[in-house]
Amino acid sequence: MEVLLAIKGKDFILTAADRTSARSIVVMKQGEDKSRALNKNILMLYSGEAGDTVQFAEYIQRNIQLYGIKNGVPLSTSAAASFTRKELATSLRSRNPYHVNVIIAGTDPKTALPELYWLDYLAASVKLNFAAHGHASYFTLSTMDRYWREGLSLEEAKSLLNKCIAELKVRYIANLPEFTVKVVDKDGIREIDL
Amino acid sequence: MEYNGSAIIAMKGKNCVAIAADRRFGVQALTLSTDFKKVFQMNERVFIGLPGLATDVQTLYERFRFKTNMYKLREEREITPSTFARMVSSTLYEKRFGPYFCEPVIAGLEKDGTPYICTMDLLGCITTPADFVVSGTASNQMYGMAESLWEPDLEPEELFETISQSLLNAVDRDAISGWGAVVHVITPERILTRTLKGRMD
Amino acid sequence: MPITHEYQSASPVKAPVEHRFSPYTDNGGTALAVAGEDFCVVAGDTRQSEGYHINSRYQPKVFQLSNGSVLATGGMYADAVTLVKRLEQRLEWYYHQHEKKMSVDALAQMLSVILYHKRFFPYYVWNTLGGIDGNGKGCVFSYDPVGNYEKHHWNCTGSAGHLIQPFLDNQIGFKHMQGIQRRFLTPEEVVRIVKDSFTSATERDIYTGDYVEIFIVTAGGIDVQRVPLKRD
Repeated sequence: MEVLLAIKGKDFILTAADRTSARSIVVMKQGEDKSRALNKNILMLYSGEAGDTVQFAEYIQRNIQLYGIKNGVPLSTSAAASFTRKELATSLRSRNPYHVNVIIAGTDPKTALPELYWLDYLAASVKLNFAAHGHASYFTLSTMDRYWREGLSLEEAKSLLNKCIAELKVRYIANLPEFTVKVVDKDGIREIDL
Repeated sequence: MEYNGSAIIAMKGKNCVAIAADRRFGVQALTLSTDFKKVFQMNERVFIGLPGLATDVQTLYERFRFKTNMYKLREEREITPSTFARMVSSTLYEKRFGPYFCEPVIAGLEKDGTPYICTMDLLGCITTPADFVVSGTASNQMYGMAESLWEPDLEPEELFETISQSLLNAVDRDAISGWGAVVHVITPERILTRTLKGRMD
Repeated sequence: MPITHEYQSASPVKAPVEHRFSPYTDNGGTALAVAGEDFCVVAGDTRQSEGYHINSRYQPKVFQLSNGSVLATGGMYADAVTLVKRLEQRLEWYYHQHEKKMSVDALAQMLSVILYHKRFFPYYVWNTLGGIDGNGKGCVFSYDPVGNYEKHHWNCTGSAGHLIQPFLDNQIGFKHMQGIQRRFLTPEEVVRIVKDSFTSATERDIYTGDYVEIFIVTAGGIDVQRVPLKRD
């Protein structure tokens, strides 16, 4: 029922996550932010088993921040994705694995190169131009296949994201009234209105 | 094996070997990526193809890269494909009761230049045929193709054509592999790498 | 007080003795058909097996029908024989009623209907029908056990179907071939490809082997070739 979306643009990544916190069939809360900033320029969106998600996301967040403090250099997006994958992969074959799916969106502060990684709870990691987790992927990937192209501007990416969310509102059974929309670019992470 | 889908094939030729793989990454019927790497170069003369569960493909590649690097540092020489195969086999067998879901294919040239190919099951049981090996979700189709097209002592370019035709026609009859392919032909002089376009359905 | 022995059940009704019976078996084997411009080639191996046991090395499952078409069967042999018997009977009735042979297209539709009539206890048979249609062109139809059918240019079913089908796509349909002129193959070329298909399939599929019987259907009649395959 959870929705995570991300679109790579010219020098940024646009992300969206639903704001619903649900237990079983009951909506417990609106306004949940399903993302954590791993450092100034990397954002991780997460979905999955309640309890596991925040625990795992903050574990990754703090270790990546520790790396930045220790070395005086922030971790690159690809390195953050590798680290996260390794943690998930180790967890997968442990006694109680994390059931967390993540999207890692980062933009290099110097080169402004945006990178987007998709990881599932099995720790398969792929670098994509646009990504979706959960049931949302069945509704939105075709739209993104059709309209995504290299070098999208922020306005174009927002319009594409709007198309995807409109599709979800029409065809997806879950009630998703609110989304957290964030942009990750070389200046950092900021929340925006669509 | 059927969770992500994949197709990998390797063939012997005259003083050369070839290894090819499809490029799809998907979760069951949903395709997410069409540039997923499943064949990895370990050194100038050894390649490994890792079909199976994508997470284990990546984990195993990382482990093999680590192990071959350590081998190179300790032994001050490059690992040969047959030795590498033993290493892969024991890595898999280590996890006998909680295996990696991957059935690797190894292709390379030995120190004296003799072609080497092999495949193994997910527990590490090695098979080394004289002609070709296949692995992945389109293995039946690849067996049929390769069994009909392959012949002994193919030159590198002929081997390239044979392995490409075997793979491309096979994956078109498998719903969860394909979406393009990559082929490596390894000769003592050079490595020929080509990416192929394929049907995108 | 009634006398009860300890081996007798205390309950007044005896529990029914259960017998598990499976009405189906798979007798293995492979069949294929290729439609040419004005001919059709239908072929099948002649091995009949049950599990790891070979019942017969020569028990053909490709049948020449009285209207000049050829039906290749796969799956359960007993059902196939029954089905062919029914088809032959219907072909004979049709002949006497209409004073002409049934066309292959009509037979194709009728076969589908016959199969679907047994929708809830199907004939466990995968059929491939080949012949010459009303316009003199070669045609191939393939079926699932409940009568779903499709017209093809080439098709292969059975235990080595997965192995042979992509090869036919490549060699008959010229798939993934660049810079060549697509054309209809001659009967000789098709027969060569069919022989190659079966020798290759025999190498890898344990249910295919012994002989392959090739029917070449032309307007002039049907020519049959029997080619030995490996027997292991």
